[in-house]
Amino acid sequence: MTTSAYLREQRDLADGILRPGNTNCAGCGMSIGLQWLEQALENERPTLCIPACCGIVTAGSFPTSAYGVPTVATTFASSAAVATGVASVYAMNGEKDLTICWTGDGGTYDIGVATLSAAAERNEDLLYVCYDNEIYGNTGGQRSSATPRGVKTSTTPKGKAEPKKDMMAIMAAHRIPYAATLSVAHREDFLRKVRTARRTKGFRFLLMLSPCPTGWKSEPEDSVDLILTAVRCGLFPLYEVFEGRRYRINARPDGEPLESYISRQRRYRSELLDLDALRAGIEAQWAYLEAMERTFPAGEHE
Amino acid sequence: MARVLDTGNHFAGDVLALAGEANRGARGAICGAYPITPQTEIVEILRDFQFTKGRVVPVESEHSAMAVCIGGSLAGARSFTASSSNGLAYMVENIFAAAYYRLPIVLIGVNRTLGPPWNIWTDQGDTLMLRDAAWLQFYTESHQELVDTILVAFRVAEDRRVLLPALVAEDGFVVSHTQMVVDLPEQEQVDRYLPPCNVPHRLRGKGVTVGGMTFPHETEKHRWEIQQAMERVPEVLAEALDEFEKVFGRRPHGALSAEHTEDAEVILVACNTMARTLRRAVQRRRAEGQKVGMIKAKLFRPFPRKEFLRAIGPAKRVGVLDRNHSPGSGGIFWNEIAATLQGRSDVLLQDYLVGLGGGDVTPELIDEIFDDLAARNQAADPVWKEVPA
Amino acid sequence: MTEMTVHGRGGQGGVTLAKLIASAYFLRNKYVQAFGVYAAERSGAPVQAFIRIDDEEITNHNQVREPDHVIVLDRTLIGPRVVLGLRPDGWLVLNSPDPPEKFAELFPGRNVATVDATGIAVGNGLGTRTVPIVNTTMLGATAKVLGLELADVEGAMRLVGFGGPNVTSARQAFEAVATRKLPGKVERATPRAPAARTASILDEDLGGMPTIRTGNWATRHPARHQLTPPCNDGCPAGNDVRGFVQAVGRKELDEALQIILRTSPLPGVCGRVCPAPCMEACNRREHDEAVNVREIERYVADHARWPAVTKPTRAERIAVVGSGPAGLSAVYHLARLGYRVTLFELGKELGGVLRTGIPSYRLPRDVLDREISFIVRHGVEVRCGQTVDRQRLLDMTHEFAAVFVATGLQESRALKLGQGYSDMVSQGIDFLDRVRRGEENLTGQRVVVIGGGNTAMDAARSARRIGARSVQILYRRTRHEMPAIAEEIDEALEEGIELHELVAPLRMHEDALGPVLTCQRMRLGEPDASGRRSPVPIESEDAQFEVHCDRVILALGQTPDLSVFPEGSDVREGHALLGLTAAPVFAGGDFATNEGTVTAAIGSGRRAALHIHRTLTGEDLFPPAPPEVAGPERITTHVFAHAPRERGVIVPAAMRQNSFTEVRLGLIDEPGHSAAVVEAARCFSCGVCNECDRCLSYCPEGVMRFKGEGNYEFDYDYCKGCGLCATQCPRGVVYMAEL
Repeated sequence: MTTSAYLREQRDLADGILRPGNTNCAGCGMSIGLQWLEQALENERPTLCIPACCGIVTAGSFPTSAYGVPTVATTFASSAAVATGVASVYAMNGEKDLTICWTGDGGTYDIGVATLSAAAERNEDLLYVCYDNEIYGNTGGQRSSATPRGVKTSTTPKGKAEPKKDMMAIMAAHRIPYAATLSVAHREDFLRKVRTARRTKGFRFLLMLSPCPTGWKSEPEDSVDLILTAVRCGLFPLYEVFEGRRYRINARPDGEPLESYISRQRRYRSELLDLDALRAGIEAQWAYLEAMERTFPAGEHE
Repeated sequence: MARVLDTGNHFAGDVLALAGEANRGARGAICGAYPITPQTEIVEILRDFQFTKGRVVPVESEHSAMAVCIGGSLAGARSFTASSSNGLAYMVENIFAAAYYRLPIVLIGVNRTLGPPWNIWTDQGDTLMLRDAAWLQFYTESHQELVDTILVAFRVAEDRRVLLPALVAEDGFVVSHTQMVVDLPEQEQVDRYLPPCNVPHRLRGKGVTVGGMTFPHETEKHRWEIQQAMERVPEVLAEALDEFEKVFGRRPHGALSAEHTEDAEVILVACNTMARTLRRAVQRRRAEGQKVGMIKAKLFRPFPRKEFLRAIGPAKRVGVLDRNHSPGSGGIFWNEIAATLQGRSDVLLQDYLVGLGGGDVTPELIDEIFDDLAARNQAADPVWKEVPA
Repeated sequence: MTEMTVHGRGGQGGVTLAKLIASAYFLRNKYVQAFGVYAAERSGAPVQAFIRIDDEEITNHNQVREPDHVIVLDRTLIGPRVVLGLRPDGWLVLNSPDPPEKFAELFPGRNVATVDATGIAVGNGLGTRTVPIVNTTMLGATAKVLGLELADVEGAMRLVGFGGPNVTSARQAFEAVATRKLPGKVERATPRAPAARTASILDEDLGGMPTIRTGNWATRHPARHQLTPPCNDGCPAGNDVRGFVQAVGRKELDEALQIILRTSPLPGVCGRVCPAPCMEACNRREHDEAVNVREIERYVADHARWPAVTKPTRAERIAVVGSGPAGLSAVYHLARLGYRVTLFELGKELGGVLRTGIPSYRLPRDVLDREISFIVRHGVEVRCGQTVDRQRLLDMTHEFAAVFVATGLQESRALKLGQGYSDMVSQGIDFLDRVRRGEENLTGQRVVVIGGGNTAMDAARSARRIGARSVQILYRRTRHEMPAIAEEIDEALEEGIELHELVAPLRMHEDALGPVLTCQRMRLGEPDASGRRSPVPIESEDAQFEVHCDRVILALGQTPDLSVFPEGSDVREGHALLGLTAAPVFAGGDFATNEGTVTAAIGSGRRAALHIHRTLTGEDLFPPAPPEVAGPERITTHVFAHAPRERGVIVPAAMRQNSFTEVRLGLIDEPGHSAAVVEAARCFSCGVCNECDRCLSYCPEGVMRFKGEGNYEFDYDYCKGCGLCATQCPRGVVYMAEL
């Protein structure tokens, strides 16, 4: 069942977290993520702290706002620190408002990683969501440390030589209460994880693989199916890490070939594409995750 | 009011804490804190203070320190922090952001030379780097003035007519680490002096994007509004000083302090502790019957052009002591004063670069400068006092 | 100086087109300038680019306001806005499959050029369907219009770094572009300055809705249609299979029964004996296993509340001859239409082959009686023991407004096995009726059944139940070709019945041990008219063998007895017999169609009722032609978790082989688990919206609305046309329509 009473409610278009009239591309994964964020939180009105990224450009031009909730456009590296200030003041005034960092991979993996690390280490009461489209999409498609090996970007014209940074492992190493990956093709799992994160106190990190038709050079209508394929072929594992130590895997590869993911994105048509290396990376990652889950399983109540 | 013996940094920390605590009846206080020599004790004192409603967040960088202040201020709290030198440089992006968001954050700038090479001593180049950041800038000459000005800065910055952040500068080590006696305000007095902090555009649950994209015509309007706010500062500052006098029984300097300028032929301009050394020189020469005077520059942004023109009186020779340097030009105060004096070809304006990198500015040096200025018939390039000609 | 404006959408390459045109002139030693407008708009948003060409250095850096020529990359942008500021004699180059004349009304007096750049670009594989990249194609068209040569186009392409399909596309467009000065007078309009409300950051009323209507980014819009579910398409009775299965999935059993009763009055019968072509057609077969429709139908019939019946309201009387499934169906539907129906039956009880030809272990009598009783309660007059011959039929046409004849198949196909064995050779259908009446006992006998249909299975299994020592089925093809329901074959084998495939009987004789049937081994040859491969005798010494037996039962099929109709009658379904009789006479069921299944007979009876109604009243109640069938390619199967079929409970072979009580017990409810509901929930609802809300859930813009009763609304003001609602619709209801 995908439905819920909230989904069918005839709400005013202005009341959504992401309002219509936003300037995200057709088929943008972030847009789906924001809709689902709202559907998971239902009538809550979180405050968003969004650094420089497509997520803030989509808000549109002053004085209108494509966000129907309080939103701060922070400087590129600062979302976790600005959010710390916001959340601290809400808390000291007894306000229960949820503060969310909504950031791209540039603001998370790269320029904002120190700020993120510090907020995680301080265990700030924040929900940090990275919509990872594996590229600097806002500036027209340059590499980030989230760009996978073999992907062509405007700054890796032959394809990226280095593998993608494992941000989940970095966040797990901070021993934060909750970290999980999100798929825009697995709605129930997505909503459940946002709700789990909502219930959890302290720093929560959610990593969403965000399809980007413009940057990935894929069909907008394929956005969801691409992520489904990424999960099924094992490229994007769905899992949760509790307290940075206890693991739960939510979906396992089902033999879907990696090619069915790669072939529908022209960004992978590069000189340096090495399917064997990508497959080896996937296998190694799964060996690691399986071992972690076996050795340090999440509790039943988690 | 209690007479207390302590260092400038301790006093700065104490007064920030008093100001933050004074907002306990409103939305509290927030501070992002990151240590750097010679500001460190301020952070330590703030981290040690037990706020009724407030938090000092030990962040990982100055950039984030200001970001926390921005977030806290947007959520409606009284916000403040402190830094120095390269810390300020690292903070710069968010310093500009704070002003463009129109947030009344107070920042203590403990002056220190920008490096490398590393130099921890005082030099106003770090805070003057922020000349165009749309912040109010106060330069203080003493421990007492530091204490008083921090409170005045909160009052002016948070005024609905201004709503801009304010920087209060003190000399590194010369004030920050030097023990002196101060009349330290009581919490009750600060509570009376500072109204509850009200950030009118704070986050209130509405679907507003703060700091989103603007088009050119809107950007121009927002800059114009900042200029309008700056132009209202003298009026708001005057009211803040009147109120300060009522509550604390003394009146700190205003935008500037003109001393013995009514009939002075030669005037020197200085800020921070240099102004105190200068004052002693002026007083001695006055005692000797020389018609010299001084202007102690306190408010750098907005620069009090009208007051300055009024203050120089009949003097035909004005010298500026700049413990800072804008390469390719000269002293930054000198630049400002030159712009202020445009059209006044009757006045000879000479710049002296002194005490750069924390060099001791001695009474003897100031004497030399007075003599040099008195002997000049026309202005020359800025004079480097420590560099052999 | 020549100035041009390019109107396009983000991602279509408008700025690159500006650079290409500038490059062409640069190569002709002109001073050129090309630039775009950079803002927050994303892929798909309307954007502009500008070109200047001059013999002297260009010093103007402002946007072009009064262009000499305008190029429009996207046909959805073609509107009055694009000619704002355009000089009267300038060219308007449009990406459109239409000829320039088509724009006479929109752009009177203008010089208009059109080219189907999208078609050319997509044909050459440039861009995506949603955002075709037409810039290089439009370069070819524009170059031609501006009087450039192909060499200029190729040079510009080389300079900017294009090759391959881009050059091909440009060449094709250069050739294909059509130009025309349109009639009428040019009306010049100049761009209005945007009304600027400059708000302050400190204003109270910030944060209104964005003013951008992203609906104008879309090149496609989502729309919805209903398709025919393959199960419905496959049901000869015309049942809304999907409809009642979905109702069971929603736990609305009474609703499910109402849906079935719209088309069939015999759900308990079909739920037991139907070969279920709906299950053959079920798209779920591709995923795991077909939905167990037959058992669900049975469950509904046995568990739902049967509704109250209606009574006749019309004066017309109608006669129905034969109370098999076709007759019963016709009676039911005619009665529901308000007719007074009289049902004539040869036997003592109603039901025809349902009663005489299907053993009660498959179709218990109480189930049959329940459904016949339901039909009869609709005010039907029943006359049993009635022989209807040709004269009686003609008499009926004077008494009734119409007559429907569905007397089934009365003549059994015979087989000559030699003289003197008629006592031990029976017809399967007669055998089954005698078994029903308790007139057969085969204790200790060896029985051979010949045939591969359901009658063969029923005869074999009944023989087993009345004491046969051994039962062997001979079939001349293989099991794969047997018409019997697969489960029936399985159950027969479980009950110890032997099946000999590729065997045909030849003749009977007798030896010392008793009667012997000589058999011929067969192989499969070429397919015959029915598509099944024909059996061909094997030519070899050992291709014949003998089987000792005490009884041979033939189940080779039946044919109708048409003697009831006047000579020269054209007897077929849907054809009213007129002229030879006083009132129209219709034929249906196996009698007319020989389709051989209960469900086909039910459909035939229903169509007869509708046909009679139309003939008598002129009112056409036949359902409209169904839409396209939702085949497996329409189904997003990954949305559905693999789930094994819920199966009905079957009495173990050891317990059932001596009993005529029902073998299959159907789907059983257990605490916390209704097998029928769980099974019904496996239905994909192919081609018909079941309000799953997946389109609503996956809309990235949140601009879909649920409007109740299977309806959803798209907000085309904002829909960007991404197509995710269509790709995520599990059942092929949402699709994208080109604008």
